[in-house]
Amino acid sequence: MKSYYDITGDGGSNILGQIGAMQAAIGEKLAGVKHRIAIGSGKGGVGKSTLTRQLATALRQRGNACAILDADINGPSQARLSGLHDVPLLPGTEGVALPKDANGVGVVSLGSLVPETEAVRFDSVSQGDSHTWRATREFTALAELLASIDWGQLDYLLIDLPPGAERTHQFAEFLGSQTAFILVTVPSDLARGVVSRSVVSLRDTPNRLLGYVENMRGYWCDACNEVRPLFPESERIELGIPRLGSVPFDPELAAACDRGELVLGSDRPWWIAVRKLAETVEETIESKPSAE
Amino acid sequence: MKFLCVPCDKPMQLLEATPPDRGSVSLVYSCDACGYEFAMLTNPQETQVVTSLGVKIGRDGEAESKCPFTGMLADMETSEDGIRWTPQAQERLSSVPEFVRSMAKTGIEKYARDQGYAEVDEKVLDEARSHFGM
Repeated sequence: MKSYYDITGDGGSNILGQIGAMQAAIGEKLAGVKHRIAIGSGKGGVGKSTLTRQLATALRQRGNACAILDADINGPSQARLSGLHDVPLLPGTEGVALPKDANGVGVVSLGSLVPETEAVRFDSVSQGDSHTWRATREFTALAELLASIDWGQLDYLLIDLPPGAERTHQFAEFLGSQTAFILVTVPSDLARGVVSRSVVSLRDTPNRLLGYVENMRGYWCDACNEVRPLFPESERIELGIPRLGSVPFDPELAAACDRGELVLGSDRPWWIAVRKLAETVEETIESKPSAE
Repeated sequence: MKFLCVPCDKPMQLLEATPPDRGSVSLVYSCDACGYEFAMLTNPQETQVVTSLGVKIGRDGEAESKCPFTGMLADMETSEDGIRWTPQAQERLSSVPEFVRSMAKTGIEKYARDQGYAEVDEKVLDEARSHFGM
């Protein structure tokens, strides 16, 4: 009797062919993207989205064409961070036009489409079992977005990931081996412990792990005019990957993010650190992987 | 998933796919060699899992593809104030992923309304792109 592998096709719907066609469409749309970098952590609340947003601004100011894909379907924040609340997806002749912020950074986020007063929901023919299909549907939604946007020629596409160490691994498989990763942590063992799981998880993939960023390394105190400690110094969990930079927390930046205002220039320590980070990211991704 | 006619040892072919009924899809397969037919009837959970892959069920896409399961709900309705779309603009709109198409349409119609247009054509779409800095 024939086995599954003896039979070509599925006799009708060509499910695998359809999935392959979607992957081919993604490849075609991303053909003009030089570097894809996923920014994840594993841990939530460490500032992945804010850092992604600011890194894109810094890369842009260094002359790079940049865009952000907000891959956090359930908690999209890039639209607010970029001041792009009510910008519709507009179909052009080569696909959906890439929405851009005032700095020229492309931003694709469901936050532009779904009001913050609404949950992001998918239609379903079944009831009460979303745990069985929701993750699949979310990845499909991202695939459909990737395949429909006219990304054009980009130096960097930054992909802002949702939390979850295992999710980070899933995104590595979903985005393919051409996507490099940067992990974000804060200087606490609690966060570093989770990020460490992501490091281990990513080592099972062919994806390049550029290093990690230590976010909220102290906070800028206007009264003291210096960066003050935010987390207690403790015995560190070794992540075993390069530290690309450390960025202090700044209440002024947090307020600007809440207002959806882009900070395009500043002499404050966080911005100096992000600019340095952008330079390091450029150098690292252009270097040979074996140099890491 | 594939189906094999055991007596003939031949793969069975999809003959017919009926539109979903309360989440259930009926798929009729037949054996080209002996003509035997059977139907696979999915339950809503099975339908949902498969369609979450973003695929269309049916022979070469001929069957019902505008599944009710591929749309995302955000409790928003598209405009009902009579904004017309030209076929060319509609064609362009089809490039927007289905799960966000109604939201994109709503946003475009809002722009058209704000600009005093009664119809969305390709010129309005291009103008909107300039307006939003794209």
